[in-house]
Amino acid sequence: MADKRAVGHAYNIDFLNVVFAASSLFLFMSVLWMVWDDFDREWKNTQRRFVQLESEVTQANLDRIQRGVDRTRLQKLEAERAAAGKQVEANQARVNDLQGQLQQTENQLYRNTQNYQFAKANYDSARYDFEVLRNQNPERARAREAQIAEQSRRVDELNLVRERAEAERDRVRQELGKYTGQAAAAATQIAELNRDADRLRGRLTAIQPSLVKDLVLNAPLLDFMAPTLKIQQVILPNIVDDVNFTRVPKMDRCQTCHLSIDRRGYEKYPQPYQTHSNLEIYLGSQSPHPLLQIGCTACHDGMGQSVSFRDAAHTPRNHEEEERWRQQYHWEEPHLWDYPMLPVGMTEASCVKCHKNETYVADAPKLQTAYLTFERAGCYACHKTRGFEDLRKPGPILTRIKSKLTPEWVKTWIRNPRAVKPSTWMPKIWHTSNSNGPADMVRNEIEIDATVSYLFEHSDDYRLPVSSPPRGDAKRGEAVVRSIGCLGCHVIDESRVQAGPRRTFGQPLQSLGNKTTYEWLYNWVKDPKHFSPGTFMPNLRLDDQQVADVATYLMTLKGPEGEGPKATYDPQAADEVLLDYFKAVMPADEAEAKLKGLDARARHLALGERVIGRYGCFSCHEIKGFEKTQAIGTELSEEGSKLVSRLDFAFVEIPHTKLSWFHQKLLDPRTFDHNKELRPLEKLRMPDFGLAQEEAGRLELAILSFQRDIQPAAASPLRTARTEALYVGRTFVQRRNCVTCHQIEKVGGDFKQLVADPSLAPPLLTPEGAKVQPDWLYAFLQGPITIRPWLNVRMPTFGLADPDWNKVLRYFGGISDTVGPFRSHDVVLTSNTINAGKDLFQLLRCQQCHVLGEIPKDQPTANLAPDLRMTTDRLQPDWIPQWLKNPGAIQPGTRMPAFWPDFPKSPFPQLAGSAEEQILAIRNYLLTFRGGPTPKRLTAPQVAPN
Amino acid sequence: MSFIKTFINFFADPRLFFPMAVAALGLLIWKRRAVATTRFGWGLMGFLTLFFLFGATDANFRLIITKPDNVPIVGLMFLLVFFTWYALHHAVMNDERRAQGKPPLEKDEEDRVWVWPDLVYTELISLILCSVVLIVWSIFLKAPLEQPANRSLTPNPSKAPWYFLGLQEMLVYFDPWLAGVVLPSLIIVGLMAIPYIDTNPKGNGYFTFSERKAEITIFLFGFAVLWSSLIVLGTFLRGPNWTFFGPFEYWDIHKLVPLTNVNLSEYIWVRAFQSGLPKNWLVRESFGIVLVLAYVFVLPGLLARTWLKVYYEKMGPPRYYVAVFLFLMMLSLPVKMLLRWIFNLKYIVAIGEFFFNV
Repeated sequence: MADKRAVGHAYNIDFLNVVFAASSLFLFMSVLWMVWDDFDREWKNTQRRFVQLESEVTQANLDRIQRGVDRTRLQKLEAERAAAGKQVEANQARVNDLQGQLQQTENQLYRNTQNYQFAKANYDSARYDFEVLRNQNPERARAREAQIAEQSRRVDELNLVRERAEAERDRVRQELGKYTGQAAAAATQIAELNRDADRLRGRLTAIQPSLVKDLVLNAPLLDFMAPTLKIQQVILPNIVDDVNFTRVPKMDRCQTCHLSIDRRGYEKYPQPYQTHSNLEIYLGSQSPHPLLQIGCTACHDGMGQSVSFRDAAHTPRNHEEEERWRQQYHWEEPHLWDYPMLPVGMTEASCVKCHKNETYVADAPKLQTAYLTFERAGCYACHKTRGFEDLRKPGPILTRIKSKLTPEWVKTWIRNPRAVKPSTWMPKIWHTSNSNGPADMVRNEIEIDATVSYLFEHSDDYRLPVSSPPRGDAKRGEAVVRSIGCLGCHVIDESRVQAGPRRTFGQPLQSLGNKTTYEWLYNWVKDPKHFSPGTFMPNLRLDDQQVADVATYLMTLKGPEGEGPKATYDPQAADEVLLDYFKAVMPADEAEAKLKGLDARARHLALGERVIGRYGCFSCHEIKGFEKTQAIGTELSEEGSKLVSRLDFAFVEIPHTKLSWFHQKLLDPRTFDHNKELRPLEKLRMPDFGLAQEEAGRLELAILSFQRDIQPAAASPLRTARTEALYVGRTFVQRRNCVTCHQIEKVGGDFKQLVADPSLAPPLLTPEGAKVQPDWLYAFLQGPITIRPWLNVRMPTFGLADPDWNKVLRYFGGISDTVGPFRSHDVVLTSNTINAGKDLFQLLRCQQCHVLGEIPKDQPTANLAPDLRMTTDRLQPDWIPQWLKNPGAIQPGTRMPAFWPDFPKSPFPQLAGSAEEQILAIRNYLLTFRGGPTPKRLTAPQVAPN
Repeated sequence: MSFIKTFINFFADPRLFFPMAVAALGLLIWKRRAVATTRFGWGLMGFLTLFFLFGATDANFRLIITKPDNVPIVGLMFLLVFFTWYALHHAVMNDERRAQGKPPLEKDEEDRVWVWPDLVYTELISLILCSVVLIVWSIFLKAPLEQPANRSLTPNPSKAPWYFLGLQEMLVYFDPWLAGVVLPSLIIVGLMAIPYIDTNPKGNGYFTFSERKAEITIFLFGFAVLWSSLIVLGTFLRGPNWTFFGPFEYWDIHKLVPLTNVNLSEYIWVRAFQSGLPKNWLVRESFGIVLVLAYVFVLPGLLARTWLKVYYEKMGPPRYYVAVFLFLMMLSLPVKMLLRWIFNLKYIVAIGEFFFNV
């Protein structure tokens, strides 16, 4: 090759040609690669795989529907069609002739219609011009009046022609129908029968892969026009995304991959194709949360606009899943989106975004348990939280501590509460992970000592009403405690996790024998409100002997002695500690002067006061001198919206996510002091609750639910008097722990686990509003009477005020949608129905289980049922027939038999065999009973004796 | 390994990094004959490659250099080193030819201008190759969808676009109005003024060093040391809170750096005179003001009579004063850096009363 440089080139052109060819090739390849990269996108492949799956499921559905088609009917219709066809054939010549005519008349009509429409269009336009002209120049318009009238007449004429042609066409059609009508009718019916199957068949053809789809519509570079693989999105006008500067309608594209999330039939397929686990409540078009209104990320969080697995910010449920995702989807810790998806099991945290101010949202069992745990641990006492304001202090009052406890016991207790009562919610404040060094020991003991001294110094004198109570029998006492209902709120043997938040509502009864005196316990059991007027502990109406038995039993519950002091008290060190506290709020010299001015006792008490203030004991306990002190914790009202960058991970090696931070904080609240160099008063002070993993998980859910309020009112469910009653009542029965004994709205009823048979537990209260009369219930709640004497468990007297009882009554009314207090009942008693009712009453042997004055003998207790003489007073007459019709529907698992399983058919001959009549007759007969036990009603203002 | 990393982390501190960059520039010019050899060029690129390969074994380093925003800066480092070496390589070659009495290489072909096909063809090839690079780049480093911007939570560190990181670094040493307004304006004005200041026709159309020693040195100082190396520093070595982090250090948001800088007035009135700051700002800042005025107005005159006498005579007063003013402005950055590092000096003039600080 000649050197081209010699003949006037700067470069070797041959070489440049090679470079040019190579770089062009590179460009070509990189363009191909680019196209392929777009063609090979994650979501497109997901949709490609779905085609196969959808065919499978549709085919299965089609088979199922085809099997379900009424064969005999189909055959009959086919036969009809064939017969009609024969008849058409017999008159074939006439039919052909008519069909020809029909075609002709159709053509005629088409032409005439067009003529008419054109003339009408011209006329309309001319008329408008005419109107304008008349408005501007009446003189000139007058000249055109005739022309317009002529045009109008012409339109009418053409319309007449059209109408005649139409009539002619109809006549021919009718004539033809005489011969072919029967066959057409049969064909329509057959099509109707096959409609569902045809629809699915059509769908099947539509989704079937085809060359046109693969080679044209979805081909690389061509797929921008009308691809069948498309991004699927919903735009939600009522749910918003907060983009900081404004709020915009939420847009979710999750369905691009979760293609069958709202379709049944995909339950057994793996994600992303799996059907949503609860279409009844979510996504279904009939559910309260339809997909087109609520979308996905309103509840699940994550980046709804993204169609990539990683960027959508999926959150794995555990480490194994995380590893799998890393390999399969190149998943990484989401850092491009502030609110990554909530892990499975925590989605209920989002309910409150729209269900504002409801606190205890229905059908959100995990959230409810989370909130109960939050309340039980008393988190709200130190951390102000929206929805949990104005609750009582979770701990017992300490203003009368002197008469209940000894200083030595209290010291042992607060040193490590769980060493004394393993199931207590009282947290450990000293000797925790940031205060267990050798130097901390002395300081801890000094602070404990000072705290206890302050509490006893500021304790009222309290005289027990019964100063020398009689002794009882521990065995009998135990029987009472274990059966009457104490264990609904108090645990003896179980751990906190086993018992759950409802059954740890009251203090655990562990180690009571070491804690207080027999005299105090006796008085407490007899009347808790005498010692602590604000206590939620109800009165179980025990007689004095039972009280003595119970108290005697409780005194036998001796447990571990707890932990002894870990250092000896050193007065000089105590002064230094107090000085530290003083220096925190005043200059050093002033602090020293102040210290010098105090005697030993005063120093001790001053230190106690500072320590209580620092650790916030007063948040949970009523303590004198701290009536108005502000809570010490961070407000949690919007903690769930806090960005991860606002959390200090310090030197703790955990993933930098909100959830892992909360988890770590809850398991060891002072963990983030690890390896930090801090002065004693700079250390973290949240106490250690010794939470189990499960409890920590519940509290994380609660914290995640405390969100910034951004959703508009339109996103929330409609509020009515009924929903209001439900919200208020639902929260009330949770907060008063009614639900530990009674199951209400699928929640609670923990006491069932403590009895041998579910029928021996307190009753289900979901149907209560429909079942009993409100005034009876009101009287019953105020002064409970025994309805089922064979039960050991007993409804206590709560002594609530009227507003609270009304909350309960309205709540029950809300559940059954019977809020209004006024109701009329048409109960017509005739001798006929009464007699039939009586017959049936005997026939069905109601008295075999139901009490009627006396308790039926020879029946296992589980079978017994309430006294029917209470019916008139107690039950809603409308409810009784519903109950008789199908007791199992109202109370699943009830022992009450369903006597009319084939309603409205009846197995009994009375009243012409009408089940409906029979049921009413029994009801009416029941309403004639009188004389059952009844709670005392206050119908008029009463003046209490004394 | 960890020893090497600690060693590099230590020397990446701007207080060492910057003087070393200046020293490297000096060395480059002094030993340019050795630097300009092809072997050294390969060695330099090899060393840089090795450094990145070694660094890539470290998780923190990897995280920083593979961040999509930072990838171009890695490329910039290679390109900068290559082109600086390339220019020097040719300059040294031409200088040697000149010493031998030969014209520069480029002179050989002075009479020929190859537009077609040479220029057009190579431009077309460049165009194609750039397209290839951009396409492949966009396939590999996809731009992700991120969370909406939040005015109450700005990213930490908040970094300027890479080409302004040098300016952002100046904010550490100067008041925003100087670092953000005055100095950038002067850079632009100065660049525009270069053709009027630098009337030396030598080096036109060919590489040379010996004929333009001062010009090239000043340019390299301004561009390579002040502008580019500060971009590199800002990209790789400034972490959360604009705190300095070595290349192998974890960007811990909690790392603390003591802020113990004081103003000149405090040095004089509080420390030297032990008298407390005067109430009147003019009195308080008089020393600083005098110093600044001297730097801007007196120093050029002094230099004209002493070190820069040659230039003063060669250029004439107007060109000389403009050139020296611009030069002094450029030097004000390293001067201020040194003052900060050695004396913890915050501002020479600090008039908080109307937000005027120098």
